[in-house]
Amino acid sequence: MPEKVIHMHRLYVLPTLIINIVIIAIPALLTVALAFFEWDGISTPVFVGLDNFAALWDDSVFWTALTNNIIWTIIFLTVPIGMGLLAATMLLVVRRGSNTFQVIYFLPVIIATAITGRVWQGMIYSPVTGVTGLLQRLGIEIANPLTETSSALYGIAVVDLWHWWGFLCVIFFAALRQVPAEQIEAARIEGATFFQMIRYVLLPGIMPTITLMMIMTVIWSFLVFDFVYILTQGGPAYSSEVLSTLAYRSAFYDLAVGKAAAVSVVISLFGLAATVLYIRAQASEFEQ
Amino acid sequence: MTKIKTKLLAAAAIVIGAAQIAAAQDRVTWWYEQATPDQQKLIKENIVEPFDKANPEQSLKVDYRGTELDKQLRVAMLSGNGPDVVYTAGPSYVAPMAQSGQLMPLDDYAAKYKWQDRILPVFLKMGEYNGKLYALPKTYETVGLFYNKTLFEKHGWQAPKTLDEMETLADAMLKEGITPFAAGNADWRGANEWFVTLALNSVAGPDNLNKALRGEMPWTAEPFVKSIDRLNSWWQKGYFGKNYFSLTSSEQAADAMASGKAGMMPTGTWQFQNVATYGKKAGSEAGFVGFPSASGDPIFPLGIGSTFSIATKAKNPEGAATVINYVFSPEVYGTMNSAWQGEWNIPLKDISSVKMASEVTPLFTETMKNLSASVADGKYGYTTWTFLPPATDSYIINGIEEVWLKKISPTDYLTKLDESFQKESKAGKAPAVPAR
Repeated sequence: MPEKVIHMHRLYVLPTLIINIVIIAIPALLTVALAFFEWDGISTPVFVGLDNFAALWDDSVFWTALTNNIIWTIIFLTVPIGMGLLAATMLLVVRRGSNTFQVIYFLPVIIATAITGRVWQGMIYSPVTGVTGLLQRLGIEIANPLTETSSALYGIAVVDLWHWWGFLCVIFFAALRQVPAEQIEAARIEGATFFQMIRYVLLPGIMPTITLMMIMTVIWSFLVFDFVYILTQGGPAYSSEVLSTLAYRSAFYDLAVGKAAAVSVVISLFGLAATVLYIRAQASEFEQ
Repeated sequence: MTKIKTKLLAAAAIVIGAAQIAAAQDRVTWWYEQATPDQQKLIKENIVEPFDKANPEQSLKVDYRGTELDKQLRVAMLSGNGPDVVYTAGPSYVAPMAQSGQLMPLDDYAAKYKWQDRILPVFLKMGEYNGKLYALPKTYETVGLFYNKTLFEKHGWQAPKTLDEMETLADAMLKEGITPFAAGNADWRGANEWFVTLALNSVAGPDNLNKALRGEMPWTAEPFVKSIDRLNSWWQKGYFGKNYFSLTSSEQAADAMASGKAGMMPTGTWQFQNVATYGKKAGSEAGFVGFPSASGDPIFPLGIGSTFSIATKAKNPEGAATVINYVFSPEVYGTMNSAWQGEWNIPLKDISSVKMASEVTPLFTETMKNLSASVADGKYGYTTWTFLPPATDSYIINGIEEVWLKKISPTDYLTKLDESFQKESKAGKAPAVPAR
């Protein structure tokens, strides 16, 4: 009898386990399976082996999308993290007004994606109703970045950056405040400059937070969909296409659900790699 | 004891009676696409209420599902929980559904309600799949050329009849700093294919298109190369203006033409309402002609906006047929097409008894009469969104941007188009195309 009582606690994981299986595991496994089928979303799926992946290999749009995802990852691994760190350390050093600045930096994070996208599209980028149009009428030749194949992806990235970096800033600021005050005090007494303080005291102090944010950035970068879809839908001429918009178009416009599933599998491979890195980093931290 | 029994019996009688009343009024479900509150009111006042009044044994329930109707419908039909009246965005959506047995053949209802006598035959033909009728088109439309009449009079320009005339005119406009075509695709990427449709119909012509659609001619054939080459030359010369990817195809395009910033607007009959609104605002008058062609005879490419079908798993197929039949009446045509121009151009054979509201512009009524006459004569062209299967149509839209922005050549574009078409055509995904 007592043995049964000991095992009772395992039941507590049951509700989460059921939710995870039904909402995550089954659809995920079905998606992986569908990647090996040809399916229009209506009739019976037909097994085609690796055909979907072979088709992706020959599809130039797939490679554009993959390259764009990699560019996106590089941008988001550097720019917003750099901006966030800089602003957070400045908030730490100059305490006056830091609450106000935190609120200002964080504000774009809480605005719905669709609204942020439309505001930038209409009020900033549009040559009719936006700042771009105002500058054009003043005689400054400036094009809407979303409409040029060379700049569309960066035009979207700017919008996402504006909405995203404040979040990192607040996270880093919270982490920085956990750095022992004695260390900062000691560095000050030793005569460390602002940049020496960042380099030798603050950054090492919040390294675990930065690592976590970088790994999550990789995962999120391969999932990016909303801003791209709202601002350009991957255009013009596929120049801002990313893997998730390619999957969406394949599934819902081309009725090629198998191909869409294959693209999704590629997306999750990158997420998986980042997750493995994260778990390893966590494990080594525990060992310390 | 007996008292309780009588009470129970009485209660049972009431329950059964209520159930019978409910059964006597069968619910018919219909999922509609995006509609503004005003448009929903039009449907309620002109279709739902008069239908319920005319058919007391039925009760129509219209559900507004927004722009994602198509995706919701596909999932619901797969699980057998869809509506009775299946409303799709066009024949290319009907073919895959009919192929997998999700739709009911309508031939018996067609005979019962004499649809053959009341609906333009071309449209019945377009709703067929493997020789059986599966769908009725709700509305038909065409693309042509709007132009700013006031601006034309000021410059002494004439509405162009041939492609050469149009090009001379557009070049003259460019010299004056006027954008030749008011156009944009910021709100609707699909706007790209309006121009592909116009180029294919006016350069290659409907006869060649018919052959290609029936698989008797590849899309890589010379007439189509010429069409895309010509369209591309218009783009490269700057006919579409420099803000094409920033402007909306609806309001902002109409505004650009009405204000005289642009001279012409190649677009569809769905734009009539915006043209009227912005013309009034700018104090200019608009004209509409069929799109110029090589020969000078205007061509009206035929498009179908949406279709009606009945689900195989419908709970009330009889009711669904009654609703569809009700929509195909001169009353609904008159009220709906007056208030919501272009979206309810129901393909009735005889519209002589139709009463249109007085505020409808004569330009619209006249255009619709021309279109209906050219369809009846079999002199119509083909819109890509009505006659091409889904993936091919999606490629038409996205690939042409690659041509315009010089990423691929017109020949590459047509080669990929042909590959996609042959594949989908073989898989039975292509909509029916009546012979010419």
